[in-house]
Parts: sequence; C-alpha cells; structure tokens
Amino acid sequence: MRLRSLLIVASLFLISVVLQTTLFSQTEVFTPDLVLLVVILLSLTRIRPELVLGLAFLAGLTIDLLGSAVLGLRAIVFTVVAYLALRSRDRADIGRIITGLWAGLLTFGGVVLLIVVGTLFGQTVLLGEGVVDRLFLVPAANLILALIFAPLLVRLIDRDPTAFRYL
Amino acid sequence: MLSRQPGDRTLPTLITLLVIGVLLMTFDIRSAGGGVTGVLRTGAQTIVAPLQKGAAFVVNPVIDIVDSLSNLATLREQNISLQRDLAEAQAALIAVDDELARLELYEQLYQLEATGTAIGRTVAQVIGQPDPFDGALHIDKGTSSGIAVGQPVIDTNGYVVGSVQQVTKGTAIIVPITVGPDGVAVAVGDQTGVVVPQVARDEMRLDIFEAREPVFAGERVVTSSASVNFPAGYPVGTVTRDAAPSVDSLSTEVMPYVRPDTLRVVVVLAWPPDPVTAVTDTTESEPTTTSTTLGEGSSTSTTGGDG
Repeated sequence: MRLRSLLIVASLFLISVVLQTTLFSQTEVFTPDLVLLVVILLSLTRIRPELVLGLAFLAGLTIDLLGSAVLGLRAIVFTVVAYLALRSRDRADIGRIITGLWAGLLTFGGVVLLIVVGTLFGQTVLLGEGVVDRLFLVPAANLILALIFAPLLVRLIDRDPTAFRYL
Repeated sequence: MLSRQPGDRTLPTLITLLVIGVLLMTFDIRSAGGGVTGVLRTGAQTIVAPLQKGAAFVVNPVIDIVDSLSNLATLREQNISLQRDLAEAQAALIAVDDELARLELYEQLYQLEATGTAIGRTVAQVIGQPDPFDGALHIDKGTSSGIAVGQPVIDTNGYVVGSVQQVTKGTAIIVPITVGPDGVAVAVGDQTGVVVPQVARDEMRLDIFEAREPVFAGERVVTSSASVNFPAGYPVGTVTRDAAPSVDSLSTEVMPYVRPDTLRVVVVLAWPPDPVTAVTDTTESEPTTTSTTLGEGSSTSTTGGDG
C-alpha cells in the first residue's frame, strides 16, 4: 500500500468518523454506518487482505474510543465484517445494484453481530429505543450509499479509472 | 469479476485480531473504563473533538433549516399553542413572584439565611452521537468548563437526561438514563423506587420494592432524595399504566419526558455541590445510603462524580 493510498484511506476514515458522529447522528430515517461502509468497500480495492483486516480493526477501535460501549466491541465486529467482505467480494462487482445489495447485506450482518455481542457483554447502551428500526435502516442507508459511491471509492484508492465500470 | 482472493494469512490475521479484541473488551470491563483504556479514550476524543465541533457548527444550522421546512405547518400550530402557554405561564410567574416576595419577608422576619448549596449549571451543546446504535451523546464542554465524571445532566426544561460518563478538556460523553447500565432512584408520590431502561423500548420499568399503595397512570415520577447520582425533585417521566402492589412490591412502566436523540442543548449540574463534603457525608452515613443504591449500584462506567 503506497503512501498516497494510505493517506486517502486515513482521510476517508477521518471524514466518515466526523460525518458519522455529527451529521448522521441527527438524521432519523437516513442513518448509515459510514465507517462500516468504508471498511466494506475497502475490501473491493487492491489493498492486501491482511491490511484491510487491520484497517477494519483500527476503524472499529476508533469508534469504540469515541463511544460509550466497551472497548473492542466494534473492532471485533468490523474485522469480522471485513473478513466476510473479502471472502465474498468476487460476487460484488457484477453490477451496481449487486454491489449495493452486497454492502447492505454485510452491514446487516455487522449490526446483528454488534447487537448480539453487545448483549452478551451487557452493553445496554446499544439497546435503546429504535434499535429494531435501526437494524434495518442502517443497512438500507449503506446499500444506497454503496450504490452511489462504491465505484468512485475503489477508483480513487486504486487509482484505476477503469475499475468497476460494470460491463 | 474480480480475481483477487484472500491469501492464506487472512484467517490467522482475523483470529489474531479477534483475540486482541476480546482481550481489549475484557481489560476494559475489568478496569471499569479507567487506566490505560481511559487514557486512550480521552486521547482519541481530544483529537477528534475539534473536527466534530467544526462539523457541528456547519451541520446543525443546515439540519435545523431542513427540519423547519419539513415541519412548517406543524411549527405554526405549535407556535400559536406555545404563545397561549406562554401567556398562562407569565400569569403563573406573577403569582410565584408574589409567593417569593412573601417568603423573603418571612425569611427576614425569622432571620433565616440561604444555605448556599445552589447547584451550578453548565449549558452545553450536543455535537453528536458515536454511531447509530450507541445512545450516548457528545457535548462541547469538558473539564475546562467544570464538568466532571458522574455529574447529572438535565435538559433545558429541567427533565433528567442522564449523567457524564467520560470527560476530556473540551468535550464530554453523556449516557442517557434510557440506555444507561444503572437505574435511577425515584419518588412517586410518597413511595420510592427505581426506574431502569428496557431493551428496545421507549418506556422504562418502575419497580417499587416496599409498595404500600397503588400508582396510577399519569402520576409524575421525580428523582428521589435517596438517589446517589441525581439531586432530588427533578422530573423523570410519567407513569403509563396503573399498578397495584403484589405482596410488597410493585412494577409498572414510565414514559421518560426526554428523548435523548432529539436533544441539541443540555445542562450539566455541578452536583454534589461540594464533592469532598459529599464523600465525607456518604462515608459517615453509609448504612443509610446502601439501602438507596438498588438501581444505582456500581457501574461499568468510570466513576467519581456521584459522591
């Protein structure tokens, strides 16, 4: 991974963390999990899989450090989602809609895992009102964002204008 | 189709990271949010806070405009209703002023002096939430404004919101009572109990363990003087259904007055007013306070402000 790509990825994570914790924390219906989405979309790039897992872990850890739940919870969830994304990414670039659905499904898996592991570790802060709605709203929002931004993000990081042109 | 496949080292990397994650979770729970993990949290929040404040400065007015435009008709009706309420409140205020003047007169007659235990207040703006599932709130004031871990937080109407869980120099994290791990000791009429959050529910559960009489829907629930985390008399919510004592306990539901995710401004109370005295008092009167910590017992959060 070159320095330029690293800077782009770091900037993407920083922007997504700031937007996540400010703008999208105040919208009721459109509530994406931007950081998780960036993690998922990173698996579509040419970054080494081990590095994608490490970045996913660090991204989750960052959100853990900014949140009130136990440290390491999102780090685990994001890493597992990144692994699933790496394992299934060959099915994601068939078409734009498929990419969106793939990202939405992975997000759904991620939020379910977050709730399950959080419940096991007694994190009531994750189980407030509206948790059931968000279980579906968050993947739906990520699906929409992936539809729009997935090709752009891959081209930006890989510096490959031909990537994800969907034949 | 993409031809790249995860290499052989993907699974070992995953397992290693999962083990590190579980160790971190265990360590964080064992250290109750303090120690190294506390320092890490403070550092991360200090770095990100200026960016969050900048983004909130830009984003909040935009969201307010969008909200206002989408709710224009409702806002007009609300405005008319609020003007009517304001007129009534102003009339009530005049009556209260008369009462206060009378009270002052009596205090002078009997040579009474104020105890000087007025609770300091710090108004703070909510700048965001960590993610869609974390119910905690980030505010733009921290230790530099006198905020400390454990201090109670109310909204601008005086309704209970939650308490400070973590604090940095310029920001703090508030955990609302609706998602917090602890309950709140409350009073309903002359009975005391505890309200605790319920999973995926708006309502909180109210348990009264030495119930003598029924409670009825619409009754006001306020913080109890038995509470170790909140000053007494602050409104929490209203009872949503009638309940009668079964043997000597009672359980019903309470709708909190506050929806934390809609808050833009909160007020942090400097309570207890004198933490040193409060600690001494608590230590000296331990047998009295231990019976009041049913729902406010030890928590996994960092402590220090609840005396």
